[in-house]
Amino acid sequence: MKISHQWLTRYLGLNKSSRDIEDALTLIGFEVEGIEKLGLQHLKNVKVGEVVSINLHPQADRLTVCEVNVGGKDGNRQIVCGAKNFKIGDRVAVALPGAELPGGIKIKKSKLRGITSKGMMCSPKELGLSDDHEGLHILDAHFEIGLSINEVLPQGDLVFDIEVTPNRPDCLSYIGIARELGAYFNQDFSYPKVNIGFNEDGPVNNLIKAVQVDTKENCPHYRAYPIEGIKIAPSPDWLQLLLKSVGLRPINNIVDITNFVLHELGHPLHAFDAKKIRGQELKVRLALKGEKIITLDGKDRELEPDMVVIADKERALVIGGIMGSIDAEVDEKTTDVVLEAAYFDPINIRRTSRALGLTTDSSYRYERGVDPCGAENAALRAISMIQEIAGGELISEPYVAGGPVIIERKIELTPEFVHRSLGFNVESKIIKETFGKLKLNVDTYETEDGNEKWVVEIPSFRLDLERPIDLVEEILRIYGTDKIPVATVMTPGLLREDDLVSVFLNKASDYLVGQEFNECSNYSTRNEKELLYWYSNTDVCNLGLDNPLTSDQSHLRNSLIPGLLDSLKLNQSRGNNPMQLFECGRVFKEREGRVWELISVAFIIMQTPNSEIWLVREEPDFHKAQKNTTRILEFAGINLSEEEFTPIEKRKAWQTGHAAETGDFLNGYEIEVGLVSLSMLKNWGIVGNILAGDIYLQPEFLKRDRGRPHYLAFSQFPPTTKDLAILVDSNVLAGKVKLDLEKIAHACINDEFELESVSVFDLYEGRELPKDKKSLAFSLVFRSLERTLTDLEVNRIFGEIQKNISEHTDYEVRS
Amino acid sequence: MEAKLNIILEEAQESLKNISSRAEYETFKARLMGPRGSFTECGKGIGKLPKHERPIIGKHINIIKKELELIFKQTLERIQGIELNQSLGTGIDPTLPSPDISSGTHHILSQVRREICSIFHKVGFTVAEGPEVETEFYCFDALNTPPDHPARDAQDTYYLPQSFKSGNLSRREDERYVLRTHTSTVQVRTLLAENPPLRIISPGRCFRRDTMDATHCANFAQIEGLYVDKNVTVKDLKAILDYFSRALLGEKARTRFRPHFFPYTEPSFEVDFYSAHLEKVGTEWIEVMGCGMIDPSLFEAVEYNPKEWTGYAFGMGLERIAMILYGVDDVRYFYQNDLRFLKQFL
Repeated sequence: MKISHQWLTRYLGLNKSSRDIEDALTLIGFEVEGIEKLGLQHLKNVKVGEVVSINLHPQADRLTVCEVNVGGKDGNRQIVCGAKNFKIGDRVAVALPGAELPGGIKIKKSKLRGITSKGMMCSPKELGLSDDHEGLHILDAHFEIGLSINEVLPQGDLVFDIEVTPNRPDCLSYIGIARELGAYFNQDFSYPKVNIGFNEDGPVNNLIKAVQVDTKENCPHYRAYPIEGIKIAPSPDWLQLLLKSVGLRPINNIVDITNFVLHELGHPLHAFDAKKIRGQELKVRLALKGEKIITLDGKDRELEPDMVVIADKERALVIGGIMGSIDAEVDEKTTDVVLEAAYFDPINIRRTSRALGLTTDSSYRYERGVDPCGAENAALRAISMIQEIAGGELISEPYVAGGPVIIERKIELTPEFVHRSLGFNVESKIIKETFGKLKLNVDTYETEDGNEKWVVEIPSFRLDLERPIDLVEEILRIYGTDKIPVATVMTPGLLREDDLVSVFLNKASDYLVGQEFNECSNYSTRNEKELLYWYSNTDVCNLGLDNPLTSDQSHLRNSLIPGLLDSLKLNQSRGNNPMQLFECGRVFKEREGRVWELISVAFIIMQTPNSEIWLVREEPDFHKAQKNTTRILEFAGINLSEEEFTPIEKRKAWQTGHAAETGDFLNGYEIEVGLVSLSMLKNWGIVGNILAGDIYLQPEFLKRDRGRPHYLAFSQFPPTTKDLAILVDSNVLAGKVKLDLEKIAHACINDEFELESVSVFDLYEGRELPKDKKSLAFSLVFRSLERTLTDLEVNRIFGEIQKNISEHTDYEVRS
Repeated sequence: MEAKLNIILEEAQESLKNISSRAEYETFKARLMGPRGSFTECGKGIGKLPKHERPIIGKHINIIKKELELIFKQTLERIQGIELNQSLGTGIDPTLPSPDISSGTHHILSQVRREICSIFHKVGFTVAEGPEVETEFYCFDALNTPPDHPARDAQDTYYLPQSFKSGNLSRREDERYVLRTHTSTVQVRTLLAENPPLRIISPGRCFRRDTMDATHCANFAQIEGLYVDKNVTVKDLKAILDYFSRALLGEKARTRFRPHFFPYTEPSFEVDFYSAHLEKVGTEWIEVMGCGMIDPSLFEAVEYNPKEWTGYAFGMGLERIAMILYGVDDVRYFYQNDLRFLKQFL
């Protein structure tokens, strides 16, 4: 909201610098977002001078050398000037050396084309009066030579652009701000004068006969004042100037007065041209379905049945509390007006304003909440101004429907409560004075235990004050937050652990950073096309937002990989040679119509190494990516072995035969890892093969009770190792062969000793082998907890194992 | 004879210094110590000497021999060392660029998040997390935001469709699902799930339906703190944020509380920081965060007795803090992931 210093001065004369006022507004809760300087500011060393002589500059056609009398002991001084619009005898504003003009121009004695110039005669622009820079500002009166320019020209203005928080609608007005600043600077402010002549024997009211409210919940209070015999004219200069200073366009005296009072007291008013009211009555009702109105901004508007209108017998004339129509507009022919002052329900106003996309100074105040008891006072103030400025006579008592919504509110407060809330002591005397300055009446009582107790009466314009704590804020605001004493922080021990989600993600990212990955951060919303493109198996409509702002951010992400690929692509196109990227965050997976929010860690690795280097490293492969995924799951307390992975087949995002998965997020976690589909990457515009790992976890899964691992006895005796090569079909997974082998071995050993481990140590596919076969070489480690095994017993079991494989499986033992 | 022996020793000492291969070494050794070597010849010549000289010369020969053996042994060791090194090939050039990929990096927002969490960890705050898709209850209702409040407007908040079904987030009634607009949701969840006293810090991603520009982003990261205990005062709130500003910006940092309005705190403040370091960014006081004493009605909503429990809450935008700390001038860079940006903050 814009607050003009000149306007404010009508209620509160502050002898303070703009800096002081700015700081005060900021410290009591009205952040100053900008200060605009209008017109003449205080200028030092700028004086009235008279042009005594004008001579051409010997070296420059466009310049003249003048003698200017600025009075005092200075007398005449020589000034070089570029303007042409002046003559001998003119009185002008002369900036003497030491003056600082708007825009930071500093005046000093100087030489212009070889001629000394001891000052400058100023244009309106240089004085800050207007944008006119064509010539000098010639003073229109013969002001005394040597006077400060501030003494002879009207003073300019400072306009503060302040933020008024939603809880303070009372400060959407000059009176509100005057009250606040008055309280802060400990200075009284004055209400505007209301002086109304009401002639009982005046003309009979023929303007309006009735006011009726059909929708009391939306308009509990409505007042209409008939005024006859006004004379429409432009407003007086002072009024126009003030309105312009806060960005309002003067229209005519009546409209300007209603606008002025709206800003002065914060209460909107509306003036009807009385002759345009058909049927001599005003009715506040809900709009009819499809009812049309042309508002004062010239727009055709179709209304809804939950919107409030002020209508005459035939048609809607005003969208209640928001804007009038051209049908009852006050124009140059208007002679009689009906002035409306009312209270409208904030919620209804907000809805209507939103629905119509129409916010006005009036709707803004009603929706935030005007003083429910302020209508009458605002009307009287406006009428008083109308009589003074536009003539006219109030010809009857107002027509009134309903009445002010009076909310009587008294809050009990004790000094002890204030101290307990603030943590430091503010003297009772200061507290009571603060309330007084804010126009809150305080009665002091004594409690049974002999302590002081206050009952604070809340005026109707302070709807935000309901509870003792609200009053504590008032005390602190005016007392000054800068007076909160310095204190040390109490540092007790921790009450709980960090959330395990954050612990897990920190560990995972530390690990990946250690593996030379760069962490990225992508938006959580992606577009539908992309989701369908990568994850055609997901029912993406479940991930869509109801009200996306743009179509490229319309859906929740269901994986971090596409974002990482975007980052990779961007870096590739910028020549940054991206190699390994990762992201941690939350993703949304759809399963059978339900959406699950999961914790995710994902990474991508450029498989093709950088060949533009003097020493080329080995390409990373699937197993490296897989190792990263299992390592990360270890941070969640999961130890995965490779045989728990199964190959991914025919899934759009992944390259069949080169990617694998494990787990199911519904049971806690899930991993997908491997080569990203080559054709998809190509279409995506990415150069090179990409290995990716995608890990999802249920947040709750991280919080499961992990228990502690239980100690297992381990043997103190040496192991015996046997190697075994097995020929299997190429498509059989090593993990399956291993499991089969373990099963057979366990059966053969029959608890005589332990099978400590079975592991693949060689994989061979080649010409010597039959087509579609591969050879897997396993190393079997046997050990006993009680003794050193003999070759004899191990060989016997090993023979049995080989025999069993040959007889009971499709595998072939190679000799 | 004696002189001759001395000459042999001197020659050996001189020559061996310059010998650096095994072949040269062997040749030279043979020249002195071989069957016809000069030293061997001296030994042979001893028989031709007068009898009384023999013991003296013999003794001298033995001394020289020991000397020679020692320097030959030393030379051999030196040559072996050279040979071992030669087996490694040419030496390295430490100034060549590493063929390995460059260092991993934490995202700047992660770094700032961790730094802030760590500052508050020192004074007893622990991290709490919560979901990004929230229900209206946690996002608005529990935080005193009435149904008609503009913040809930579809113009400002992302809603999920009425038909949205969540797998792991339950609703109280049939309130809508939204993308959380602040991490205060985590405060409400923690207040409901745990018992006071509480001290938590909740970082997380939030969403507002904003058009993107240099200072606005539809996704952003927030970090909020909540402290609930008995007898918590405004003075305590000021103290913790004074501590925070100094921990973040140095001992000379100062804070300023500007009264403000938030629906879930009373009194509420916006907090400006000031420090010499910030002056580089261009403003004197710079707005950093919002805070306030927890509104009694919030306590009532989570069924804490407001007469018994008091507390404060504060919150700030991570991007804004990162921009202030590092002078970044466009919030979109945080989400663009250009490596030239990511690698600046090792």
